[in-house]
Amino acid sequence: MSDKFSRRDFLKLAGVGAATTAILTGCGPASRYVKREPYMLMPEYNYNGLSTYYATTCRECAAGCGLVVRTFQGRAIKTEGNANNPLNLGKTCARGQATLHGLYNPDRVTEPIKRKRGNASGETVTWDAAIQTVADALKNNQPNEIAFLLGTTSDHLFDLVADLSTQTGINAPIRFGALSMFESRATLSKAAENLFGKVGLPFFDVGKAQTVFSFGANFLETWLSPVSYTRGFAGLRESKTKQRGTFVQFESRMSSTAAKADEWIPIRPGTEAMVILAIGRLASELRGGPLPRAFADIDPAGVATKSDIKLETLRHLAELFANSNGSLAIPGGAALGQSNGLAVAEAVLTLNAAVGNFGKPGGVFFSPLAPNQTEYQRSASVQEMQNFVKQMANGKFKVLFVHGVNPAFELPASLGFKDALKGVERVISFATFPDETASESDYVFPDHHGLESWGYQRVTTGSVNSVISGSQPVVVPLYNTRATVDVLIAAAKLAGGKFASALPFKDEVEFLQSKIAPLMDASDGFFAAPDINTFMANFQQYGGWWTTTDGRSLPNIADVLNRSLKDAESEFAGEGEFFFVPFVLPTIAEAGANKPWLQELPDPTTTVMWNTWVEINPATADDLGIEDDDVVKITSDAGELEVPVYRYPAIRPDTIAIPFGQGHTAYGRYAENRGVNPADLLGQNFNDAGDLAFAGMKVKIQKTGKKQPLSRLEGKLGVYGFKKE
Amino acid sequence: MTKRLFDWLKQPLSLIAVGIVLLALFSFAAYGVSLTQKSPEQPIQFPHKTHVSLGIQCLYCHAGAARGPAAGIPSQARCWGCHNQIAKTQTSQLLAPLKQAVISGKPLEWVPVFIVPDFVHFNHRAHIAAGQNCENCHGDMSKVTVAESPQVFNMGFCLNCHKKVAAGNQALLVKLTDCGTCHY
Repeated sequence: MSDKFSRRDFLKLAGVGAATTAILTGCGPASRYVKREPYMLMPEYNYNGLSTYYATTCRECAAGCGLVVRTFQGRAIKTEGNANNPLNLGKTCARGQATLHGLYNPDRVTEPIKRKRGNASGETVTWDAAIQTVADALKNNQPNEIAFLLGTTSDHLFDLVADLSTQTGINAPIRFGALSMFESRATLSKAAENLFGKVGLPFFDVGKAQTVFSFGANFLETWLSPVSYTRGFAGLRESKTKQRGTFVQFESRMSSTAAKADEWIPIRPGTEAMVILAIGRLASELRGGPLPRAFADIDPAGVATKSDIKLETLRHLAELFANSNGSLAIPGGAALGQSNGLAVAEAVLTLNAAVGNFGKPGGVFFSPLAPNQTEYQRSASVQEMQNFVKQMANGKFKVLFVHGVNPAFELPASLGFKDALKGVERVISFATFPDETASESDYVFPDHHGLESWGYQRVTTGSVNSVISGSQPVVVPLYNTRATVDVLIAAAKLAGGKFASALPFKDEVEFLQSKIAPLMDASDGFFAAPDINTFMANFQQYGGWWTTTDGRSLPNIADVLNRSLKDAESEFAGEGEFFFVPFVLPTIAEAGANKPWLQELPDPTTTVMWNTWVEINPATADDLGIEDDDVVKITSDAGELEVPVYRYPAIRPDTIAIPFGQGHTAYGRYAENRGVNPADLLGQNFNDAGDLAFAGMKVKIQKTGKKQPLSRLEGKLGVYGFKKE
Repeated sequence: MTKRLFDWLKQPLSLIAVGIVLLALFSFAAYGVSLTQKSPEQPIQFPHKTHVSLGIQCLYCHAGAARGPAAGIPSQARCWGCHNQIAKTQTSQLLAPLKQAVISGKPLEWVPVFIVPDFVHFNHRAHIAAGQNCENCHGDMSKVTVAESPQVFNMGFCLNCHKKVAAGNQALLVKLTDCGTCHY
């Protein structure tokens, strides 16, 4: 021991001094000074120093939740749910809150651009030139050479293009979104059609149920209408009129929905159909009466062996389901995204029929149809997208217009969308952000951000009322962007002839009014007005229009129990030894990666931020000699990718899972070159409803010897501070 | 380490060294603190005293104070309403940024100095409604040019006044000193 004051001690002391200084200065008001720009000319309806609130609609997913946006001196500063809107009743999810990060995103496309495909930059063009380009594209090509690929939001734009299509003979617009692929929407609606003879999305009344069995439906994350279903879940758990409800989730990895469940059943992938039928049989036996034909051929003991669920557990689950006064089974997500997905969906709906919950509180209904809703507006299944991409590649289309969707990122890479673009002479994108598809386009004519836009969105499910949510600009557009509807109206006028007569509108607002005007005659609307201007004012003020009556309808269930159902295991593509489950990252989903608030929000189950990971059970990882943060190579029969490992105890040892949402090669500074896209692994196997069998693959794992630390909220030592040495 | 430290400190040279270090740290900290107390730079050296001496009420420009949480910064249109009638506006060097802003349509960037941290919800309206005058907190504006905060807006400042106002009225005192009154 030295008798001198060591260098180290001195440094410590100096450090304390420096820290004190830093803290003292940091506490002063100077650290909080910000610049404020007052109005140049304040609108009459504003008060200096007071916030102004506008009702509009969230465009982060297709659910159509109402928003109320607080603005201050002309700037949007906070979004909250619209308490009037019957779908979300004043609530939003994290993505709705983060919509401001889209509005103020520094990487937005700020001007109309002409570029060589694949180049990040391009030359700026005027809007007049842009409209001329669109007009030429419409006029100088045969109608069947013109195609529109639209997203699942902005229903008013879809309606405008649909009108254009029916009156001029151009191809019917096709719409797609990765969320509808991962929630297996087409499968659900096809199953309902097969069983009840009517097309439509079932409505699951979670809030009034007593026992809920969910087969893969991640309804607290992104499935169909997450805010509405989350509210329903709150009703299931806590209500003044009934006991706390029970919730059981069946899926091979514990999603954050499963984390909220009383019981998580880690079912062997592919055995969902037979497990449902076995529970149906056991429950029917407990309830007495004749055994429905649907369940007659199933052998619960055999199912128990195949599905890795003990027979006692099956019996206990059947008892739970049969004896509860309000049982509900929900199909969705990965359970339907398999080769036998349609059979799974049919089996779940049949299970509901076995306990007779159709049309009862806490049961299954048909969702009410939104105003002007038809089957024509549904989003395409991946099989339909495959056809579309093939047509593109074969040179069927001379012009492709893209709006509100990023197929170069969202579609499975094996479909070859990027290559197929080469078969299209002219690609015109209306993207707000410089995404992968926009950078492969010849022109980008940027649309406004959702908070700067007019429009409406039909609520297809989640509300008991028939709802159309209205959008209006809450701020003046920040950049030199223009509403795509306005661009198309102006271009149609310029193109003349049948195009001009198809869209005889002055501007977007006149078009909107023409679409909502018929609602004035409805008898059960929650507001009424004698003329369109008053009606429109109310529509803007309340953030939409909805009926006051319960519009849910009762399915025809006469023969449901007498059909025989398929109980076969699903087939898996690929040689590997691990089941592969891609799932939508609940915080980021398909288009949130460019919003830092969402990137910084830890994934609810793993707490990983800013990256992609692969979930591997620790037992499997130990067998393979894989530690946390080791980079592994995953190979499917459609592709391969390298991704760091998160050892996740809540996943089956024979299953691995990768979240979808990251892995952008464009899309702005916060999204680019971050993580990987599991769509690169997806093949082209479909279920009987045309939905992608995204969870029907087997993959291989190889070590690479590399390491890439994942940033995560929980400590590296794990929650309990121990780690296997 | 403590024993080593004391042994070392007993030497006179060490004492001097420690003294120098402490002095350096102290003066650095003092400089840092003084930096934070300086008013920020404004786009115009706005003479509040001139405007007040002309008899213009505070609420004429900061109208939000009587109606809501924020007093607000007036729009350029409000400035220009008077100033385009004043010949000096066209020539004054001091007013050039205002003229420029009106011509270019680009708003001036002011830096508010009367600010409280984000965890405090301050509402002007309640204070005006309770009969408080602006100068009780903001100081005598007839004497200053660019706005400067005459005191630190910390919790002690707020509570002192709240207690004084509620003197003798127990029910009011409870209301005015409740945490949730400002922190919610």
